[in-house]
Amino acid sequence: MAEAGADSSNAAVDGGGGSVQNDYPTIDPTSFDVVLCGTGLPESVLAAACAAAGKTVLHVDPSPFYGSLYSSIQLSSLASFLSREATPPTSTVAAAASDWHTVVDLHRRIVYSEVETSGAAPEPARRFTIDLVGPRVLYCADEAVDLLLRSGGSHHVEFKSVEGGSLLYWEGCLYPVPDSRQAIFKDTTLKLKEKNILFRFFKLVQAHIAAASASADETGQGDAPARILEEDLDLPFVEFLKKQGLPPKMRAVVLYAIAMADYNQDGADPCEKLITTREGIDTIALYSSSIGRFANAEGTFIYPMYGHGELPQAFCRCAAVKGAIYVLRMPVVALLMDEEKKHFVGARLVSGQDILCQQLIIDPSYKTILDVPFDGSDSHFPRKVVRGVCIISKSVKQGSSNVLVIFPPKSLEEQQVTAVRLLQLSSNLAVCPPGMFMSYLSTPCTDVSVGKQCIKKAIDALYSPQASDGSEDHLETASESTEDVKPTLIWSCVYVQEITQGTAGPLLSCPMPDEYLDYRNILGSTKKLFASIYADEEFLPKKSAPVYANDDSDSAE
Amino acid sequence: MAATAGGNKIRNAKLVLLGDVGAGKSSLVLRFVKGQFVEFQESTIGAAFFSQTLAVNDETVKFEIWDTAGQERYHSLAPMYYRGAAAAIVVYDITNAASFTRAKKWVQELQAQGNSNTIVALAGNKADLLDTRQVSADEAKAYAQENGLFFMETSAKTATNVNDVFYEIAKKLLQGQQVQNPQGGMVLNQRPPERMVSSSSCCA
Repeated sequence: MAEAGADSSNAAVDGGGGSVQNDYPTIDPTSFDVVLCGTGLPESVLAAACAAAGKTVLHVDPSPFYGSLYSSIQLSSLASFLSREATPPTSTVAAAASDWHTVVDLHRRIVYSEVETSGAAPEPARRFTIDLVGPRVLYCADEAVDLLLRSGGSHHVEFKSVEGGSLLYWEGCLYPVPDSRQAIFKDTTLKLKEKNILFRFFKLVQAHIAAASASADETGQGDAPARILEEDLDLPFVEFLKKQGLPPKMRAVVLYAIAMADYNQDGADPCEKLITTREGIDTIALYSSSIGRFANAEGTFIYPMYGHGELPQAFCRCAAVKGAIYVLRMPVVALLMDEEKKHFVGARLVSGQDILCQQLIIDPSYKTILDVPFDGSDSHFPRKVVRGVCIISKSVKQGSSNVLVIFPPKSLEEQQVTAVRLLQLSSNLAVCPPGMFMSYLSTPCTDVSVGKQCIKKAIDALYSPQASDGSEDHLETASESTEDVKPTLIWSCVYVQEITQGTAGPLLSCPMPDEYLDYRNILGSTKKLFASIYADEEFLPKKSAPVYANDDSDSAE
Repeated sequence: MAATAGGNKIRNAKLVLLGDVGAGKSSLVLRFVKGQFVEFQESTIGAAFFSQTLAVNDETVKFEIWDTAGQERYHSLAPMYYRGAAAAIVVYDITNAASFTRAKKWVQELQAQGNSNTIVALAGNKADLLDTRQVSADEAKAYAQENGLFFMETSAKTATNVNDVFYEIAKKLLQGQQVQNPQGGMVLNQRPPERMVSSSSCCA
């Protein structure tokens, strides 16, 4: 092996780059097509896409682990992660005066706030993995899944099913969500009339989806009568459901548990967030095509075996296989602009080293003093999401490991204008020890105090506080004839997260984890960011997965 | 999962490579899998995995070999790299004392990240360059013994001991007869399941 490619791993190097006062490595080379700061999912997907397009890539992260705001972290690290200060890391090397660069300091945004923890964290803390993006799943037919398959990242990640399906919280009880005709048939809690209405509705939607895909295939078989009218497609979905005769509970099933609407669709207050019939049916189509996509996946959703932090790791590895250079534990302290302050030309690392590049991409926790002109939307009302994490003593649904629970708007209290989602995970994932369960909750909010109140009410609705000795709280589970004892809440944490969108322009800033259950919105933004810098390149083309270098003709990937 | 092929049981094993840039990790694998050696190979690019089957007596081990893709250069391997590894080869360059020092750190990292059942081989590569040796075999052998590793000097260039390292790992794997991870999740694959036909008659 030639020594030419050798370099010190994580050790200081003289290399003529000036004296280094600590253990930061000197990066070689010093010029790249693309430099990315932060290893969240959008940054990692972009790194993989840029590397697959033949660009030279440097990808750095100040943390010793991958994932940024999309990390899976140990329970013991959660408090310090959420309370990270906004102070910028100071370069340990006095910056040499640049003859031709303008230096713009980089600061960290305060992303998390109002952190409240209750209960004692169980031991051993390292056996619990917390997902900062939770509750989050992948639909089996999701674009995230397709990206993993196309990029080759799927080889690196294992999944488990959310095999317990979905439950709807309605009038103080949990009801199974009848999300397919088979489920409707089997359901024991629905009245016959409800079953017929829902069955007919799904049949109509399925016929429309089939007709739409048939006409998309240009095989036009004269299925026009089966399609839903254009004027109905543009209606608010709730109005269309009313036209189909769905009663309130069935509308809640379709709107919040299958179409995943966030905001109240049925309120007297004028809500800007009504989903159209078209949007609702798109999600139903995704939901429908997810069931049965993978032979070994049960239900609609899958979850990464070791937490959502695996996904950024997988895409980063894809980028590395295509030549991207990875440096963890490497904060970026400043950005470099040209003299006229029109273009970003590079980044200054904490070691004092300047890296030049054509395109700079940063994770959303970074901001500069120049943010105001670029992030006009950020200076107005920032979107926020309240998230909760719980450790509980048993499953909310007997016999099920992983379950999704939907609390429709106003099901917890009158002021609840947004749905609350809860995802329960078990130890069949490597996220907690046997005998315990993790629950993630979230709700988008404009009023933080109402949002937190709703999260806490959802927690109270399903779980007993630990201190209850004599009295036993009961939770009616409609699918069971006997009353069930509530799981015990061992530990919980509720916090508020700010949401910023990705921004294109001289500096690319990636989207934050949003309020949605899946990654469609985030990946849609990421795709647009890629198109804004490399309009002529295909975004992670099929067959960008590396060849499985294999001498065994029998082996299948 | 065990597969049956002609009466032989196939044991699947994930094997990871560790060691400094330039120590010759990829060259070892290329020699083992392809019988090739490239004199001035640049840092590892382009291949994430290699697969090779090895027969040991009446049993077969199928190695899935993960290469670092260069992420070791600035000590930035992800946890998923180590996870589930049945075996690891820590490679150093016998002509570079610093690479042996860092090989020890890789061993420590592996012990911190991996499970205690991982079989670890220490490979002193470039054994054909005896004139420029900086690490004695005795020193490396002593370190290996102290830390429960097994040690071989190899040369990807001359193929010395390359197959022997993998063969020795395979033997130890079969001796250990470790239980396959029951917690294993599903890996996505492109092949449409048979259920796709029946699922088309269902709707959501």
